[in-house]
Formats: sequence, structure tokens, C-alpha cells
Amino acid sequence: MKTEHEIVLETKDLNFYYGKKLAVKNITMQFPKNMVIALIGPSGCGKTTLLRCFNRMHDLYKGTKYEGEVLFNNENILSKETDATQLREQIGMVFQKPTPFPMSISENIAYGLSLKGIKNKTEQKDRIEKALKEAALWDEVHDRLDKNANGLSGGQQQRLVIARALAVEPSVILFDEPTSALDPISTSKIEELISELKSTVSIIIVTHNMQQAARISDKTAFLYLGELIEYNITDKIFTTPDNELTERYVTGRFG
Amino acid sequence: MNYKLRKLKNIVILSLSVGATGIGLFFLGFILYDLISKGFSSINIELFTVDQTPPILDDVKGGLRHAFIGQIILTVVATLIAVPLGLLGGTYLAEYGRHKRIGRVISMLADISVSMPSIIVGTFVYAILVKPLGSYNGFAGAIALAIIMLPVITRTTEEMLKLVPWTLREAAFALGASYNNLIVKVVWRGAATGIFTGVLLAIARVAGETAPLLFTSFNNTQLSFDLTKPMPSLTVSIYQYASSPYSSWINMAWAAALIITVAILILNLIGKLLINWRYKS
Ligand SMILES: Nc1ncnc2c1ncn2[C@@H]1O[C@H](COP(=O)(O)OP(=O)(O)OP(=O)(O)O)[C@@H](O)[C@H]1O
Ligand SMILES: [Mg+2]
Repeated sequence: MKTEHEIVLETKDLNFYYGKKLAVKNITMQFPKNMVIALIGPSGCGKTTLLRCFNRMHDLYKGTKYEGEVLFNNENILSKETDATQLREQIGMVFQKPTPFPMSISENIAYGLSLKGIKNKTEQKDRIEKALKEAALWDEVHDRLDKNANGLSGGQQQRLVIARALAVEPSVILFDEPTSALDPISTSKIEELISELKSTVSIIIVTHNMQQAARISDKTAFLYLGELIEYNITDKIFTTPDNELTERYVTGRFG
Repeated sequence: MNYKLRKLKNIVILSLSVGATGIGLFFLGFILYDLISKGFSSINIELFTVDQTPPILDDVKGGLRHAFIGQIILTVVATLIAVPLGLLGGTYLAEYGRHKRIGRVISMLADISVSMPSIIVGTFVYAILVKPLGSYNGFAGAIALAIIMLPVITRTTEEMLKLVPWTLREAAFALGASYNNLIVKVVWRGAATGIFTGVLLAIARVAGETAPLLFTSFNNTQLSFDLTKPMPSLTVSIYQYASSPYSSWINMAWAAALIITVAILILNLIGKLLINWRYKS
């Protein structure tokens, strides 16, 4: 791994509070471009909380507070001037449970496009096809684009959500346990997809599945009680971690 | 011992509730039977094509065309007033006011007014829109019906929007949507069937109302499209015809009562079917 790799996202002394509760503690880390970075750690350690700082999802809720900096393209996105809706067009998010909108498959993707100002029908059509192909869903749905997205299987829905995120051409996609609600076959399809996507987008993925982190990520961060314990190349984390807590976690001795 | 006692209790309660249901069903069946046997034979084409004629002229067949059309006008105008207000009100309660005390208070008040006696609405509208204007008018009737529909539509809209999972809103936010945009494009869309059902049920709710119209649009012996004048309606005509001494009018009242009952049943049925189709599958 080259050390002079370009950085897409970076946190500096990041703290995050739910009310008085400090859920993310003093995290400083860098996310290189076009890599898959996995966030692992026991339940409640702050993985989701950290992930949702990157698209300012916490802004939706009262009483939440950020401290420190999150630099995206060298700009602090936590500053007041940042337009959260514009930021979210550039940093997409895929949730644990598939979240297809109650509309047709093509409308699901067209919605994001029109938010971005792409309203021309033929351009939308091209982009929908492109995104569905990138999400490895085109072959399964090309003949029923105008059917309701709720009719798809869970795995297909999740790939539709990924296609929807891809269509607006973000530079980062955040995944929060994207496969934990899916069967093994759908899971491996999504893992394969994520590995292919990193040539065009940078990926940060929260996962509870150790094998998944080992299979698809380039770097892995281990969090514990809101703190970043160890962050390194994935092979190293899973074979010879520096920290004893990390070792105990990745070998399944706690968590 | 204990087991026997419980079994006995079970049998008693079961037979009491079956009995109560039986009594209810008996009277419902009785009413429907009476309605069908007396109403059906009086349904004829003149009922829908001829307006009111003086009851003394036995050779001229009268009808209730004016009342059917008046009823439709009143209901449509009331729906046009109540739907946008109810939709926006319900949206406020489910979205912007979801965690606010004022939202809960409004919700509770709407619940109370759903069961408010409709005659109160009638007299209220009489006081503000009939008395000052000096004449019964169709507009007042439509407003009275709209006031009765409003809390029904508001509360169903609220409940239906709350059924749309919060994660869908988060997903739309995550794509860069504003709250207003995602409410209109995603949340309303997801709740559309449910909201439509609520509107149907609200229409069914007012279709049989007499009291609020009696004080507002009153009645008219002729077909009228003028909302500033008294407007005929089926329910008020039924009330008036049924309490008249003329057998031809009384028969027409039976026929109209049967038609209105069937219409309400159909609206309710469509509503229930839509709910089943949308939320059970
Ligand atoms: N909305 C909230 N309000 C208050 N505290 C919260 C809220 N959401 C999460 N927390 C707390 O913040 C801490 C971190 O939670 P977070 O959801 O980020 O953990 P996680 O690592 O994603 O866990 P999991 O693996 O179970 O998803 C936990 O202690 C949790 O209880
Ligand atoms: Mg989580």
C-alpha cells in the first residue's frame, strides 16, 4: 500500500455528543480515495454514530453536537457554511435495511437525479440504465423498470438502493451493515459489487461480520467505547494487530 | 375447581357477547329488510330524471333529481374544502409537529371533534354563515359538511403518514432531499392509498348527515346550482318527504333512503378493500 495515497475524507479530533453523552471520542483518521475502509467493533461502540457524522445525518435530530473537524476535499464539512443537502449528494449512504421508496424501480433512481437537477427524461433514462448496470441489477430488472420497487427481493432492493446512490455520482458511499438483513447469496453479490465499485467511489463500511471486513476491505478501523483503538491495513489487523483488544476482538474472544 | 370456574366464566361471557352481537345484527337486518322491501319497489327512472312535483297531482310522477344533484354538489364542494386542509393539517401533525406538544393537543382535539354531534356543527355554521347573510345557502351546507370531514381526514392522514417508516425519510435525506421535497414526493406517495381511503370514509361519514344541512343549505324544491341560495339535498328531502302526509312522497323517501344507504355501504366497502389490499399484502 502506497503511503502517499490521496485522501478523500479525514477527521481531526472528532467528538460527537448525543445530548450529554459522548459517543465518538477524539477520533483522528484518514480515509484514502478509492479504497474500502471497514469500521468494526462491538455493538454500541459508535460505528454508526461515526459514519453518520460524514453526511451530517445527525443534523436531523435535536441535541446532537459535533466537535473537531471532518475534512472532505479539504473543507470542514462540520462548519456552518456547509450545505448538508449538497454534501449528501456527494456522500451517499446505504442503510442496514433496504429502503426502496414506494414507487417504481426507475422512479427510485430518477428521484435522486431530479434532486440533483437532472430532469431531462432521456438523460435520466441513460443514467438509470448505467446505475443499474453498475449495481449489477440491470439484467434482473430491465424488463420491469416501471414495476413497484417493493416487489423486489431484499437483496435486489439493497442493490437498487446502491444504484440509487451511485446514480448521482457521489465520491464516497457510506454503508451501515448493508448485508446484515440479507441471505448469504445476496450478501456475496453485494460484497462483490462493493469490491468493484471502489474504482469509482471511496467506500466506508460498518460491519459486524469479521470475514466480510477481511474479504472486502483494504483498511480496517477497530473502535471500542467510542474510541479508535487501531487503524491499519486489513491484513495486518486480522493477522498481527498491535493492540491486544483488537486481537481479542478479531479472534472472537469478546464482542 | 379453579379450572371449572374459569371455564364457566368463559361460557357466560362468550354467550353474552354472542347475544349482544346477535341483537345488533338482528336490528341491522331488520332495518335493511324494511328499507329494501319498501324502498326497492319505489325506485324508478323518474326518481332520477324529474324534480319535485306537488304531491296533490297524482297523475304527474315526481322525482328527486334536484336532491341527488344538490347532494352531489354539496359533497363535492365540501370535499374540495376539506381535503387540502385535512391533508396539510395531517401532514403538520405527522411531520413538523410530530414531537411537539401543540401537535399532540391538536390531534386530541381532532379526535374529540370526530365524535362531536353534527347538529352542533349545523347550528354553528347557521350562526356564522346563514344568520348574518340572511338566507340559507348551499355554501353554508358545504362548509358544515367540510367541518365534519376535516378531523376525519386530518387524523387519517396523520396516521397514514406515521405508518411510512422513518427510515424512508432518512434515506431521502441521505440522497440530498429537503424535508418539504421528500414529504411531497416520497411520504405522501407512500401513504396515498391510505389517505384516499380516509377521504372516502369521510365522504361516507357526511353522506347521511341531515342535521348540519337542515340549518344551512336547508332545501329547495327545484334544481339549483347557485351556492348562495338554498340547495336541495337527499337527506333533508328524505326527512321532509318522510314526515309528509302524502304516500307518493313517503314512497320516494324510502327509495332515496335505500339508495343513500347502499351508496354509503359501497363507499365503506371500497375503503375497507383498499386498506386490505394496501396494508395486508
Ligand atoms: N439517538 C441516540 N441518542 C442517545 N444515544 C445514542 C443514540 N444513538 C446511539 N446512542 C448511543 O451511542 C453509542 C454508539 O451507538 P452506535 O449506534 O453508534 O453504535 P454501533 O457501533 O453502531 O452499534 P451497533 O453495532 O449495535 O449498530 C451507544 O452507546 C448508543 O447507546
Ligand atoms: Mg450501528
